[in-house]
Amino acid sequence: MRYKIQHITEYEYADRVSHCYNLAHMIPRDTLRQKCLRSDIRVEPSVSYTSKREDYFGNQAYHFEIQRPHRKLRISATSEVETGPQHTSLNLDLGITCAEAKEQLRASKSHDVLLAREFLLASTLLKPSKDIVSFCQNIFHDDRPLLSAVMELTQKIYQEFEYSPQSTTVATPLDDVLKQRKGVCQDFAHLQIACLRTLGFPAKYVSGYIETLPPPGQEKLVGTDASHAWVSVYSPTEGWFEFDPTNECLASEQHIITAWGRDYFDITPLKGVIYGGGESPVLNVSVDVSRL
Amino acid sequence: MTQTQTQNSQLNATLAYRADNPRQDEAFTDAGELKPHWVNLLESFENMGPETYRDRASKAQRILRDDGATYNIYSDQKGPSHTWGLDLVPSLITSEEWSKIEAGLIERSELFNLLLKDIYGPRDLIRLGVIPPEALFCHRGFLRACQGIHIPGDHELILHAVDLMRDENGEMCALTDRTQSPSGAGYALENRTVMSRVLPSLFRDSQVHRLASFFQKLRIKLLTLSPNQDQPRVVVLTPGAHNETYFEHAYFANYLGFHLVQSGDLVVRNGYVWMKSLDGLSRVDVILRRVDDWFCDPVELRSDSQLGVANLLEVVRAGRVVIANPLGSGILENPIFIKYLPKIAKELLGRELRLNSVKNYWCGSVRDMEYVYHHLESLVIKPIYRSASTHSISGNSLTAEQKKELLKTIQINPMQWVAQPILNAGTLPTFVNNNLESRPSILRSFSVAANESYSLMPGGLTRVGVEQASFVISNQSGSQSKDTWIIDSEPQTSTDSDEASTPVREADLISLPSRVVENLFWMGRYAERAEASLRLMRTVFVMLNGEEPISENCKRLLLQAVTEVTSTQPGFIDASDELIASPEQELLLVLKDSDRIGSVRSNLNAMLYCADVSKELLSSDMLRVINDIRDALGELDNALAIGLISAPEEALDPLVTALMALAGLAQESMVRDFGWRFMEIGRRLERAMQTTSIIKTLIVPEVPESDQNVLIQSLLLSLEALISYRRRYRARMGVQSSLDLVMMDTSNPRSLLYQLEQISLHIKTLPKATESRHELSPEERSALEAETLVKLSLLKELSTRENGVRIHLKHSLELLADTLSSINNLVSDKYFDHRETSQQLVNSTWGE
Repeated sequence: MRYKIQHITEYEYADRVSHCYNLAHMIPRDTLRQKCLRSDIRVEPSVSYTSKREDYFGNQAYHFEIQRPHRKLRISATSEVETGPQHTSLNLDLGITCAEAKEQLRASKSHDVLLAREFLLASTLLKPSKDIVSFCQNIFHDDRPLLSAVMELTQKIYQEFEYSPQSTTVATPLDDVLKQRKGVCQDFAHLQIACLRTLGFPAKYVSGYIETLPPPGQEKLVGTDASHAWVSVYSPTEGWFEFDPTNECLASEQHIITAWGRDYFDITPLKGVIYGGGESPVLNVSVDVSRL
Repeated sequence: MTQTQTQNSQLNATLAYRADNPRQDEAFTDAGELKPHWVNLLESFENMGPETYRDRASKAQRILRDDGATYNIYSDQKGPSHTWGLDLVPSLITSEEWSKIEAGLIERSELFNLLLKDIYGPRDLIRLGVIPPEALFCHRGFLRACQGIHIPGDHELILHAVDLMRDENGEMCALTDRTQSPSGAGYALENRTVMSRVLPSLFRDSQVHRLASFFQKLRIKLLTLSPNQDQPRVVVLTPGAHNETYFEHAYFANYLGFHLVQSGDLVVRNGYVWMKSLDGLSRVDVILRRVDDWFCDPVELRSDSQLGVANLLEVVRAGRVVIANPLGSGILENPIFIKYLPKIAKELLGRELRLNSVKNYWCGSVRDMEYVYHHLESLVIKPIYRSASTHSISGNSLTAEQKKELLKTIQINPMQWVAQPILNAGTLPTFVNNNLESRPSILRSFSVAANESYSLMPGGLTRVGVEQASFVISNQSGSQSKDTWIIDSEPQTSTDSDEASTPVREADLISLPSRVVENLFWMGRYAERAEASLRLMRTVFVMLNGEEPISENCKRLLLQAVTEVTSTQPGFIDASDELIASPEQELLLVLKDSDRIGSVRSNLNAMLYCADVSKELLSSDMLRVINDIRDALGELDNALAIGLISAPEEALDPLVTALMALAGLAQESMVRDFGWRFMEIGRRLERAMQTTSIIKTLIVPEVPESDQNVLIQSLLLSLEALISYRRRYRARMGVQSSLDLVMMDTSNPRSLLYQLEQISLHIKTLPKATESRHELSPEERSALEAETLVKLSLLKELSTRENGVRIHLKHSLELLADTLSSINNLVSDKYFDHRETSQQLVNSTWGE
């Protein structure tokens, strides 16, 4: 599938910002099932310095610096991406078992396995917790195929949690999400990653977009799409597999990847430091995913 | 030996040293014999006796204090700044033994350099299975943002410090590594400087290896790191004056001849790092940092850091600035690596290390955890990541209950902990309780990248435990330090001197950081403000307690002058008759209440703060006088303890004298650079403002003729002009002649006009935008305006009363006060940095 994505981020400040420094993760990266054909970032007001580089995780990191006073910041990222499905045919009930996976992770000398072990560890936002253990402990039996267990966890999160954009912010800790059983895609992805790591399986946080289709008979509205997040889990000898707990499914061609990391902190879409600006800036984000 | 000397030494107890456990002592062989190279040294101390020792030690403490050598202890809220503790018995190591240690340490630095390259490069150690991935990935010092960053030359690791102790076999063994911004080298140099001064002959006769060449190599290395060839600018980045080793940051900067800067002095613009200086932005090429990794860039690292520079990492990546040690080098402090060091050395160097490391058990390994579980009693437990809130715990200090607790804590996140056997540190003779006693010791060594390899400081920083059985030896726990002498059997041929050499300054003195000149400006203002307040209060005390009683009205005006000059309103303004009748309490508060803005104490505290943060620009004489002010301020409470009953003005004398000494030194021994000019502008501005305010309060209001005399006398007394006046006029007090003396007479260095002329003079010399023609700058215009206003005044007009009040004088002084305040604002706007507060775009603080 070929998509054009337009991702617009706008900040309106209560007070003048004299200058600012930002780091954006908004340009889709290349992956085994995806190729970014072209991309373009426009920033207003005009920037005095920019650079683009590949970060530690292989994502596209975009730095910019604005040295002129402004009250409004607008970043418009446009990209064209060609995506494919994860695996042409995938039977979750085949493949290696949980016990085999763990043994491989422990003993294998393969580079892939050794490097995947980085995603087993606690990260900035995801620390070990007792509540996580009790939430997921009865799914991953030793003799069960790993991927089918991951699917069950995906379903469990979908079924037991309510999607509620007002209930959390980027700073809500996982334990709170677990208590209130509400959240957004980012919370669900974090929860699933924490579960998988606690159980001993490497997992990544994936951020990107998902194509939403309008109800039958209606025309699609511009700007109604949203940025999205899901997870990728590592099965030794088999590779990485993406699951989407918000939509209770495996990631498909409609899932367009921007970046991946250990958690949201590694690949925040836009972060930075501003000088001045007053209190409570107003943030507006609009995303538009259209088929080409 | 003369008769008296003999008697004295007989009276003294001798300072003989008997080690508690000679087998473990540095001065004794295993057989319990004194090692030959210790014989002379200990003999010297024995002959010296405790009395002389104490005398030398207090001299040493004085020098340390005058040099501003402090170490701030975080847990001590009351007096966080402690004078550096130096024990005068040095640690001795023969050059034969040292060359063995040296070879081992240089090899270790080379290995750590290769390790750093691998960690932020190919990570072969993980791919090849030399270390388990978790050993690297679980450590918070691994900065993923630093992947792929390289600095010019063979070395990534520029400075490397290693803490060393003797192991059970008597071999030196490495305990921990410091690789971010190792501290201690400056203290080692300061120790050396002090030792060579208080024990000159002992030092001279001992053939001690000199330290200076180490610092020269560091300086050269830093200069060669510059990506720009011509006139590289190197700065030392400090977190600020509250940091525990701030003294060293300032000392380093001065000794090496580099600017000392803080976060706010630097800014990234258009892909380069700049220092905000008087003449605008000056490009920075190399940063010797004393700020920890995570705090250096709020955009990519800790977003809530106020100690870093936004976008710094991006400039580093582009190769346009070099940071030493590079960001991310903190990962080398990971003690898990020590467990795998033999394997790492084989892989990267092709051989095992000569220098042993202490055994490390990593709780992240099942087998090691098992061992820790069963041997907690004999182990020290350490978190793998060092921070202010984490400490090592000695297993043998814990109760059974505490042990269980600790094991539980470890098991929550076992990878975050290591354990080491408790070592019996080698002991050193140390002066305690008038005697030489055995204290456990630890040595920090320093190596710097030089040529193709590393170069080791011949010596280091030795620290000794507080107690015989101290387990933690750190400055934070209050340990003393020692100089470390590497001694030759042959005299040293080198002529290097360890005395702090004349600092090498860059030619462009103009590029002082704006923050620094701002501090000097305020130092001048606060010092003058405190001095003016003290003089006026002294005058008020003298007048109130004088032989001749003064009228109620006079008293009221004098007290109001105190309130006006100190800006401690309401104070005596519109005060009740009761308050005027017994003003003592309020006067005391205006003197010594540190919480009251405008009080003498709060002004002096502010002045001392400005001095502390500008330390590196002040001469040692200046620092000594500043210490005197600190002392006098500390004594103020005692001096005023009996209240204001008897001659309170005398209690203020020591402070006034010390402040005068400061002003005198600034005149006599400060280089006339821009820093000095700003201090002068601050001082002159403040004096002009205070004088204006005193004249206005005392001379403008309507008073009976009898009171007029008293008020004029007070005015002259508080402005140090009474004697000149009497000498000149010998008559009763006249308003016109007094105003002439305090306002217009430029031969009186305290007159208003004198201050204004000086201000104009200084402002003229400040750096200006090059395109400006002959047009005056706004601050020059204001200064000229103020000067002219006074010059064009007519004494007769000023002294004329209308409806009782001297209305012309009042207007002139008010206009002058406004003009002075606009000079202040113009100078401040133009030359000082006005930093807007920064905030994170995404409001998120996730802690460490």
